[in-house]
Amino acid sequence: MRTLRIATEGARALTGHKLRTFFMMAGTIVGIAALTVIMAVGAGTEKKVMKRVNAFGTHAIMITAGGGKGFSPPQAGVTTLRLEDADAISSQVQGIDVLAPFAVKRGMAVKAGTNQVETIVMAVGPTWHDAWEWYVQEGDPITAEDTSTMARVCLLGTVSANDLFGNEDPIGQDIQIGNVRFKVKGILETRGTSPMGDEFDSRVVIPLTTGLRRLYNQDYVTNIRVKVKNPDEIDSVAGEIRQLLHERHHITPPREDDFALFSAADIARMARGISGTLNILLTALAGLSLFVGGIVLMNILLISVGERKKEIGLRRALGATQGDIFRQFLMESLSVTLLGMVLGSALGWAASSLMAAVTKFPVVVSWQPFALALGFALVVGLFFGVQPARRAARLKPVDALR
Amino acid sequence: MIELEGIEKVYTSGAAETPVLKGISFKVNAGEYVAIMGASGTGKSTLMNILGCLDKPTGGHYRLDDTDMVNLDDDALSHLRNHKIGFVFQQFHLLDRSTALRNVMLPLIYADEYPEDAKERAEKTLAAVGLADRMTYRPNQLSGGQQQRVAIARALITDPSIILADEPTGNLDSTSGAEVLAIFQRLHKEGRTVILVTHDRAVAEHADRIIVLKDGSVAEDQPVAHPRDADAEARALAEKEVQK
Repeated sequence: MRTLRIATEGARALTGHKLRTFFMMAGTIVGIAALTVIMAVGAGTEKKVMKRVNAFGTHAIMITAGGGKGFSPPQAGVTTLRLEDADAISSQVQGIDVLAPFAVKRGMAVKAGTNQVETIVMAVGPTWHDAWEWYVQEGDPITAEDTSTMARVCLLGTVSANDLFGNEDPIGQDIQIGNVRFKVKGILETRGTSPMGDEFDSRVVIPLTTGLRRLYNQDYVTNIRVKVKNPDEIDSVAGEIRQLLHERHHITPPREDDFALFSAADIARMARGISGTLNILLTALAGLSLFVGGIVLMNILLISVGERKKEIGLRRALGATQGDIFRQFLMESLSVTLLGMVLGSALGWAASSLMAAVTKFPVVVSWQPFALALGFALVVGLFFGVQPARRAARLKPVDALR
Repeated sequence: MIELEGIEKVYTSGAAETPVLKGISFKVNAGEYVAIMGASGTGKSTLMNILGCLDKPTGGHYRLDDTDMVNLDDDALSHLRNHKIGFVFQQFHLLDRSTALRNVMLPLIYADEYPEDAKERAEKTLAAVGLADRMTYRPNQLSGGQQQRVAIARALITDPSIILADEPTGNLDSTSGAEVLAIFQRLHKEGRTVILVTHDRAVAEHADRIIVLKDGSVAEDQPVAHPRDADAEARALAEKEVQK
């Protein structure tokens, strides 16, 4: 109870000196606000990253025909990525769960009756479903029999099914890709948007052999999709595949790769991009302002101890112990940082929300920054309050009253 | 009861030692009204600080109700000041930003038990020094005499047995000074020990006994044959002001 009464005395001193209190608080406000924004942006970025990675597949490695720095569609006319490469990877690289070579063609005309769409057609083998973890929601998947017999069957994404058949049931119906007729045997699960921004669900999927021989007339593939057993090994598996393809394609340094390889880890790195650097910068800013704010707080308190010598002496004369005076000044410091924390959190929250609204940058506001802010406020308040409080407590009542 | 026995105080600054009190001994019985006099530099303030348990002597013994304060630690001295001694200072030493009521309640914060009726007690004490209508005023809204009466109310709130006043009229005009002295006179009549430190013999003569310090020693310790009546003086001065 006595402690509470003394704490009240400490807090009361602040309301009497509003401008001084504000200066003491400024560093904490800025620091905590920055911290809140960082964490909101960080959480938002991570959400975006996870969304990208999940869309790509957390266990996935994608090999694409053609070079290029970014994660991009296969280059047309690159004929060097072949089914033999897929077999070699499958037999020589450890840690692979499943592997699926496939050939993609963009801008294919697909017709059903009078409805026509232009879309991406993927020619895939039976392992494709597992490699992509993408299955049929209705009908049957692409099977080994389909590829061995070069069956003219196809699967539709939910969007393409709707575009071509509306409300009708597409299964068992015919569609035409180019000049070739295909029977719809299944509808794929809805998957959303690809990491490159394509609509997955507007695609049409046909057996690999049918695609290569009957539709595209080619003997190379555009992609090999690999699913690793353990995502922790993804970088090393990717490295081995890269090395194997270099050997098989006779690529030595000055020559550029004729394929691109991206793993889920690469996708995450790309998605994080500069936000990591930004985060470090903002964290440094937050830390610095908390530290500088703490020093300012300490100095103003030290000055205030000097100015309030008479008050301290009087309180001592009236019966305050050294401990009472110490607690009073420490409480003053803590009140400043705790109030600063509340204001800083509010400011940070407002700034994050504004950012989310204006920039469309993903921002996630959660309770964690507030818990962390509370922790920081307590630490800063105690750490920088101790010295002034100790000085106040050690004043001799006789000297202080003079 | 207060008992000083060979009290010495030596200030040391570097190699130089300055003796300020050179063996002071006297007793003050409970309920006495004593004035301590002396010119500035005679050790008056130092003695006052020791009497108020704000400072410790470098030699001798000071027994307050049979406790030798020389042996007490800082916390025990704080406790003693809180419940046994009421201070009244020349400079009033009120908290500028607090109301009269809050100023009077201040010592209760440091009491062992915060009384539930703290506010009522403070109001009653303020009323007793004639400030019933000034409870919510801040010090800068009060006259010097009123401020000193707030300070007296503050000294009385913990119901101490000893009132220690250091030049309480030093910053006041004669009417306000007389009013303050009239309050001390009343406190004395109520049975409290009042110790008044002053350089002014006219003020000191309100007490029952005068101890004169000279050069760090007791030069004179005598009862006052006919103590002056502060109450009558205050009334006379007030009447004179009305006539003006």
